Formats: sequence, structure tokens, C-alpha cells
Amino acid sequence: MPSFVLYLIHTLFPHDVRRPTELGADFLIIMSGVIIVYYLTKQKKWRYLWDEWLTTVDHKKIGIMYLIAAIAMLFRGGVDALMLRTNLALPTTPVISASEYNEVFTTHGTIMIFFMAMPLIFALWNVAVPLMIGARDVAFPRLNAMSFWLFAFGALLLNISFVIGGSPNAGWTAYPPYTGVAFNPGPGENYFFLSLLIAGMGTTMTGINFLVTTLRMRAPGMTLMKMPMFVWTTLTTAALILFAFPPLTVALAMSLFDRLFGSSFFTLTHGGMPMMYVNLFWLFGHPEVYIVVLPAFGVFSEVVATYSRKALFGYSAMVLSVLAIMFLSYGTWVHHFFTMGAGPAVNAFFGLSTMLIAIPTGVKIFNWIFTMWGGRIQLTTAMLYQIAFIPTFVIGGATGILLATVPADYQLHNTYFLVAHFHNVLIGGVLFGLLSGTYYWWPKMFGHKLDERQGKWAFWLYFIGFWVTFGPQYLLGLEGMTRRMYTYPLGFGWHELNVISTVGAFIMGAGFVVMVYNVLYSLKYGERDLTGDPWDGRTLEWALPSPAPEYNFARIPVVTARDAWWDMKQKGQTLANSLSSHDISTLEMPKNTPVPFLLGLSFFVVGFGMTFEWWIIVAIGAIGVVASLLYSAFDYDEHKHINADVIRRTESALGRLQG
Amino acid sequence: MAEKLQFQSEATARAHEGEDEGLPSLLPRFGEEKFPWIQVWGYIGSLVLTFAALILVIDHVLPPVALLSVILTLAVGQAALQIGVFMHVRESRGLAWQMVFLGLVLLMAAGMVGMSIWIMLFKSGVS
Repeated sequence: MPSFVLYLIHTLFPHDVRRPTELGADFLIIMSGVIIVYYLTKQKKWRYLWDEWLTTVDHKKIGIMYLIAAIAMLFRGGVDALMLRTNLALPTTPVISASEYNEVFTTHGTIMIFFMAMPLIFALWNVAVPLMIGARDVAFPRLNAMSFWLFAFGALLLNISFVIGGSPNAGWTAYPPYTGVAFNPGPGENYFFLSLLIAGMGTTMTGINFLVTTLRMRAPGMTLMKMPMFVWTTLTTAALILFAFPPLTVALAMSLFDRLFGSSFFTLTHGGMPMMYVNLFWLFGHPEVYIVVLPAFGVFSEVVATYSRKALFGYSAMVLSVLAIMFLSYGTWVHHFFTMGAGPAVNAFFGLSTMLIAIPTGVKIFNWIFTMWGGRIQLTTAMLYQIAFIPTFVIGGATGILLATVPADYQLHNTYFLVAHFHNVLIGGVLFGLLSGTYYWWPKMFGHKLDERQGKWAFWLYFIGFWVTFGPQYLLGLEGMTRRMYTYPLGFGWHELNVISTVGAFIMGAGFVVMVYNVLYSLKYGERDLTGDPWDGRTLEWALPSPAPEYNFARIPVVTARDAWWDMKQKGQTLANSLSSHDISTLEMPKNTPVPFLLGLSFFVVGFGMTFEWWIIVAIGAIGVVASLLYSAFDYDEHKHINADVIRRTESALGRLQG
Repeated sequence: MAEKLQFQSEATARAHEGEDEGLPSLLPRFGEEKFPWIQVWGYIGSLVLTFAALILVIDHVLPPVALLSVILTLAVGQAALQIGVFMHVRESRGLAWQMVFLGLVLLMAAGMVGMSIWIMLFKSGVS
């Protein structure tokens, strides 16, 4: 056998990716790959896949692709969580070793934040925002597709690490010196930095795209103070992304330089400053918390108004509090490393600024409750998530205030109390919010409702499972159990609580299974949405048929009130009853392009080559990147026209054309 | 083409009527294909500034304090170049808006850089 083959096998499949877990995963990946390729070939679907999905610039389809990716990542992150919890329920006979445990908690955190929460947010943005503001697409449709493919290939790069070359193992925060090449050789951390850099570029571009979309693409008459609340949170989140991701990019790139090129930004020797990484990471990391939670707040603001059949209470206070959260969230990052010991002045400043954020958040909580007050509440699945969110998030916020108290933080830092706190706000806030939005906008995406009965089963399993999992973890934290330990001695009295917590995790896992069944069942048997307005909604996306046609609005509506669609319905108007044949003219729409997909693929090649320091492969990928960008820059044929007759036929087939 | 492109006319109409009255710089400019030489030179300039800093550090050309001052100067130049060339500042709604923009830049810089220096100034035995 030639020596380079042995070298390849040794590099790509070292000992720690040949454990039973990884071999089982290899088998499943290869089998499902074969099945997918066979199915696509048999059904002659390759062309369809390429034309309709891989090259699309339609925000609605991009949103659906984000959604599929996010649910797949929720599965992967969830399986990781179950592995961690299983180990902690069996402290005397650990199922996975200490080093594997490190890898699993690292991928769990990284995937859940960057590759589950973020794409699920972008899914909802893409699906809802352009329709809500009465636009034909986002401001930069091709950039939007590039964002998606950069995210998708970034996620792929991180996900292949555990079967090819070895997983990252320094936690989702990737602090030095854990990531230093002297202490952590091998490709794992390179995978981590490169995949986040690639996906991070996509995220930054999404931020820019939606910032411009919400500011510049609104329908005539929709002033800033007439925007739906979800659009407001999109605007503020996009601004947060714009300012928060550069510090992360810098910190990741500098860490990568330390590993690949021998620089000493964060090393322990040669004057490196490891704590500067921590500072830069959380300069991103704290705004990131609000990047993921503000869209959930936006979803709840829409859901609570729709299912209470009332306008959102205190709209202007809500807008002000969102803006306050946006500004304040830049001034709190030190609370993630109080124990660094920056001194009482620094810690007191950041402790206080952290507590300040509770005020605008409290305003929002009260406004949601007052919106429900006196309303005719419909207990749909989406609304159940909203109602469960309020007490859950309040408790998560209250424990956050405890952690913001500097002396208490010195005691609670890095314990399970912290783990319970951030899962409390991330699951109770972000996941509940995004699932609520998924159930709410599902008919708009796919043209049918998700089965409510099964949806409620999934909800109760998630909700009960959540409290059974994380309630005991608060107590474990107070009893001194620290995070990221793969086993513990039996004498500390931690065992019973850990077993309860693990049972809860499996209840949540059952919730996920029911949710996936719910999706599959509803594809076939779900109630079809023929009106386009299944929930008697308030905002413009419900004025359109489900799913919306490619061009969204045959004629851009004129907005006169805050809940634009509700106002139209009160006046007996619809978009259809005033639309006559001569109102329709030929539209210019963005044209499909393979560039975003090829750009993502090229970046993937660069990332993979750099992970193993194979510079020829890096050069090949870099040529692909430059070629894609040059081609895109000089491609002036980027629009197509949808003929007025085609639109007339489509609208009339939907029964939305008069005469 | 006989039928006017609605996509184009809507954007133009909005720019003419609505909040952006009298802002020729914000009008959509379809079909304008002037080659962006300013951006090309800006890109080359930013690369020169970056590699100048890199070479200065790698070759230890200057004593530390002088080195830091020179790098800082290059960084300020880089920031000015990015804002001037790539951020479209000159296309905004006149001087007042440019001042708002620059004020925000200074605020973010002071917040992120200044606070980071304050935080990292601690003299305990951690680092």
C-alpha cells in the first residue's frame, strides 16, 4: 500500500474516531447517504433538487431549508445531550470516557447555539419578515442564498469532525489554553474555528440583509411605528449581529493563527493574553444571548396578539424596551467572567448593568400578560408555548439576577446552577419561542396546519421534561456540582438528583420524537389551509394564500394601520377583492443562481484543507471562492421577468382575481 | 419593453414621494455600470496597510513603544479607509447624518476598545 494512503487513514481516521459510537454513526451516515442517492436517482429528482432548491434565491424556500437544517441539528444536539445525561446518571459505570465526554459537551453547545438556534431564527425571518412588511423578497436575495450556503457548509464542516479527524473538545466557548496547539493537537479545534468563521460570515451577511430589508423594503404606509413587533425585533437583532459578530470573528481568527501559524495572541508564553480571548468572546457572546432571544420575543408578541384576538398591549413600550435591551446588551459582557478578578469597580459596574436589563424585559413580560387580559384566548400549541414561556423565563431571569450579584457569582460560577440558569432562558425563552413560531407559521410555509393534538403532546413532554431536567440542576449547583464533569463520587448526595435530571432529558427526547411524528403525519393528513389565514391573523403575511406565490404580492398593499391585515378585514377589504386584471403588471424578480452554493462549497474546501493544513487543497478552494465572487460581480443577468399573464393565471387559479 | 417594470417604478416612486424626498443619492440606479475604481484602490490600500503592520511586527523593525504607536496609526488609517471607501458615508443625507454615523462609530469604539482596556488592566495573578 502506498505510504500516502496510510498517512491519509492515520490522519482522517485516528484512533478516537474508531470508537463504537463513531463506527455506528459512520454506518448510519453511509446507509442514509446511499438511500438518499438511490431515491433521488430513482425518482429522477436531481434536476428538481438543483433547480428548485440548491440554486434558489426565493426567501420562502431558503427559510424552509434553514428550518430543515435546524431540526436536523436539534436532533444531533439532543442526542449529544442524552449521551451526557446518561453518563451522569451512571457515575460508577460511565458509558463514555472523559475525553469523549469533552467532545460531546463541546458539540452539544456549539451545535445548539450556532447551528440550531441561529438557523431556526433565520428560518422564521426568511419565511415571515418579507411577507409581513409587504415586500417581494429580501433586499439582497442572492446575498441571502450565500448566507444560507455559508451556514450550511459551516455546519457540515463541524458535523463531519466527529467521524473524520476528531471532534473539538474545548467547550463551546473554546477558551485558551485548552485550544492551544501545545495542549490540544489534532484537527478538532481547527474544525471548530473554521466552521464558525464560515458560518459567521453567513450570519453577518444575514444581519446586513435583514437590517436593510426592514429599513428599506416596507410597503407604502408602513412607518416604523406601524411595523409588526416581530419586524422590530428583526431590526434590532440584525443590528446586534452587525456589531457583535466582528469581535467573535477576530477572536476565532486570532486563535486559529495561534494554532496554524505560530502566533502568540492568546498563548501562555511570548506575552500572549489568554484572558483577552475571553474578553473578546463575550464581547460577542453577551449580545449573542439577545440575538437569539429577541426574535423569540418577537414571535411571542405576534402569537399572543393573534390567539388573544387583541392588539398587542403597550406597543410603543414594547418598541422602547426592545431598543433598550439592544443598547444595554453591549454593556454587560464581563458578567461571564467576574471570577477573572478584574477588580471591584469593573465587576460592580457590569453587575449593575446586567441587572438593568431586567427592567425592559420585565416591561415586555407585563405587556404580554396585559395583552392576554380580557382577550379571547385560544389554547393552540403555539399559544401553549407562549403561556409556558412566561413563568419559565421569569424564573430563568430571576436566577440570572442572582448570578449577576458578584459575590454570589463567585460561589455559583461554573456550577450546575449556571447550567440550569442558561438552559432555563435558552430553552424556556429561545426554544419555546422558536417552536411557537414554527407552529404558528407552518401553514404559511407548507399550506397545511400541524396536527394540534400531537403538537400539544409534544409541548407537554417538552415542558414537563424541561422542568424535570433543570429543576434538580439548580439544587445540584447549590450543592457544589461543577459543570463539564463526566463522573463524580457517590458520597456527595448528587446521584438521585442527577438520575431525576436524566429522566427529564429523556422526556424531552420523547417530545422531539412526537414533534417529528407530528410533522410527518401532518404532511399527509394535516388540515389544509385553503384561506391563507388559518388563525384569523393580524399581519400582512396572512393576507396571502398559503404557501405564498413566488412573487408574494401581485400588487404591493398600502398600509394604513399597525395590524394591517386585521384593519383591512375590519373594513371588509382583502387583497383579493380589489385586485382586478389590469392592476397586474410584469414583475422583475431575482433569478436563480448556482453561485451561492458553489461559494459555500469552495469555502468548505478551504476549511477542510486548512483543518488538516493541506495547503494545496486550501488553494483549490480559494480559487473557487475568488472565481465565484468574480463571476457573481460581473453577472449582470441576475433578473428574470414574471409575465403579467402568468401572474393573472396564478391569482385567478387561487380565486383572488376579480373579473 | 411596453410594460413598465413595477419593481423598479415602485422603488423609484417611494424614493420620490416618501420619507426620502430630495435624496438623489438614495434613488435606485439601475443599469449604471461605471467601474468601481475607488473600491479597487481602497481594497489595495487596505491590503497595503495590513501587510505593513504584519511585516513591522514579524521583523521587529522598531522598539516596542514605537512599534505599538505605528501599528495604532496604521489601524486608525485602516478604519478611516474602510469608513470612507466601503461604508458609503458620503451617500448619506448630508453632514448631520454623517456626524450621527461617526458619533456612533466613536461610541462603539470607545465602548468596545476603551472598556476592554479598562477590564484587562487588572494586575492580579490570573494572567
